[in-house]
Amino acid sequence: MTMKLKERPAASASADSRRAPPESTGRRGLSQTQIALALVAPALVLYGVVLLYPLIASLWVGLFDRSLVRPGSEFVGLQNVLDVLSEDFVGLTLRTLVFATGATVLPFLIAFGLALLLNQGIKGQGALRGILLFPWILPGVVVSFLWLWIFNPNNGVLNGALRELGLIEENLNVFTSPWQSMLLIIVAKAWQTFPWVMVMMLAGLQAVSRDLLEAVSVDGGGTLRRFWHVTLPSLRGIIFTVLLLELLWNFQHFEMIWVLTRGGPADATTTFSVELYETAFQSFDLGRAGAVGILWLAVLSIPVWLFTKYGDRRVR
Amino acid sequence: MSASVDVRPETVVPSGSRQTRRKPGRRIALWVALAVIALFALFPVYWMVLTSVTPREQVFEFPPSFIPTAITFEHYVTFFETPALLKYMVNSILVSGVTAFGAVIVSSYAAYSLSKFEYRGRKSVMYMIWSSQMFPNALLLITLYLMFDNFGLLDTHLALILSFMTFTLPLCTFVMKGYFDTIPTEVIEAARIDGARERVITTKVLLPIALPGMVAAGLFAFIRGWNDFIFALTLVGPDRRTLPPGLVIEYLGEFQADWPELMASSFITSIPVVIAFMALQKYFVEGLNVGSVKG
Repeated sequence: MTMKLKERPAASASADSRRAPPESTGRRGLSQTQIALALVAPALVLYGVVLLYPLIASLWVGLFDRSLVRPGSEFVGLQNVLDVLSEDFVGLTLRTLVFATGATVLPFLIAFGLALLLNQGIKGQGALRGILLFPWILPGVVVSFLWLWIFNPNNGVLNGALRELGLIEENLNVFTSPWQSMLLIIVAKAWQTFPWVMVMMLAGLQAVSRDLLEAVSVDGGGTLRRFWHVTLPSLRGIIFTVLLLELLWNFQHFEMIWVLTRGGPADATTTFSVELYETAFQSFDLGRAGAVGILWLAVLSIPVWLFTKYGDRRVR
Repeated sequence: MSASVDVRPETVVPSGSRQTRRKPGRRIALWVALAVIALFALFPVYWMVLTSVTPREQVFEFPPSFIPTAITFEHYVTFFETPALLKYMVNSILVSGVTAFGAVIVSSYAAYSLSKFEYRGRKSVMYMIWSSQMFPNALLLITLYLMFDNFGLLDTHLALILSFMTFTLPLCTFVMKGYFDTIPTEVIEAARIDGARERVITTKVLLPIALPGMVAAGLFAFIRGWNDFIFALTLVGPDRRTLPPGLVIEYLGEFQADWPELMASSFITSIPVVIAFMALQKYFVEGLNVGSVKG
């Protein structure tokens, strides 16, 4: 760790030969920098082809009148963007924010509470933690199926249990209620997410100074004071990181919303990702989908900017 | 509530006796809270497994039974007797496997370079790769679709493998970079001073050390590829389809889905990722790399 290989000017091939005699150098004249670049090159090419170019080109399409099923395209400037703005843009943004916030905060609260509980030094903690990680690893599609079945309006176990307990007379159909549908996708996403947050928080809790906790106790501080003055401040970085990353990911989440509600009823659970997908691959309007993407990234750039400004450096 | 409370002599802390009196209650509250969360976490999985082995006529009974009264494996048999589902499974294995393999190789070289060499633009490259987590998949899909269409790659396995690189490449690069960062530079320096060629260094010195990290990164990539939905839904037709979109299209198109069968298929679909995950457990708990596990 003491010394990293230093960048060398291309001209100093002779300096290389001091380290590696000419007869043992595979390709003579290749400097360390050139080797380093050669190693990273395939990944960069792939990055350009599947990530960078598609991102830029997809946004660029937003400036054209272009269809997926008709050939040809015509430059229309910001017309698509203005069209999207003039329709339900505010609603779209709000729904995305509601989902992203809910699906970030709810699992965070569950996971934080759980991490605090598990950190008490309970017997079988390791096994419990392992089992609790399961929801995170299941395919999102399978997670959606599980909750679809539980909330099924005809034979779902939730309706059955509530009726059995006498809490409802008629079966609930969450898929016809806008806010209940939103709640469903948030609960299902929270179920899938909380294990990951829990692991992060547990890692953070393990780094909390025992000496500090002890010191507050000796001064007569109770559980709440210890939590407020020691635990919470030392977790600040990790809390910020986890919340912001989750927010970013939920902002673009697609599969569970699509499988659970298809953005319905009406447009009640249609977020940016669902809107863009439907516009591009069901209405075949690529120009307009690109415009949705432009506005989406514009809104998304706010948390991204926050992250780069205040983000925990350790995660980079 | 911390463990330190238990070992301190009571006399030292004025509130000690009060805490001791409250302790049994606290223990119970703790366990109740844990039980509630464990129920929330595990009930859906339990219900999936239970439904998948319940005879069809019992599934739709009221009130629901939480303990099985009769068990059948007919729904699992149905899965393996449905050619379309088997085809989806073969596609899933093939595409996720090749994706994992390819992503690990490309990103291991990149991670080695990013971890063990100093050059201008190294930080920018890392930041660029990291920031790609914010690129929305649905947005990338517009151009990927047009691109694959141009090259006649729509409805091929290659289209899926390439599109899966959008998330496996950054993921594996970060896992591998984290791994290489833990390998002392001296190991490489020593080999280099001994006059070893770069190629020899990579294959004889680095590869054996890096192998556990590569396995972990590969398992990660396999899981992520296996779980993909949006790319396989859009870029390929019925012949190349993978299990996640396959199940959605097979079962959710109908007016009333066949839930016991769907639960059995869901269980089967989950098995590979659960096995991969178990192999990864140690890695998850010890060396979780924050920026690389988009969920």
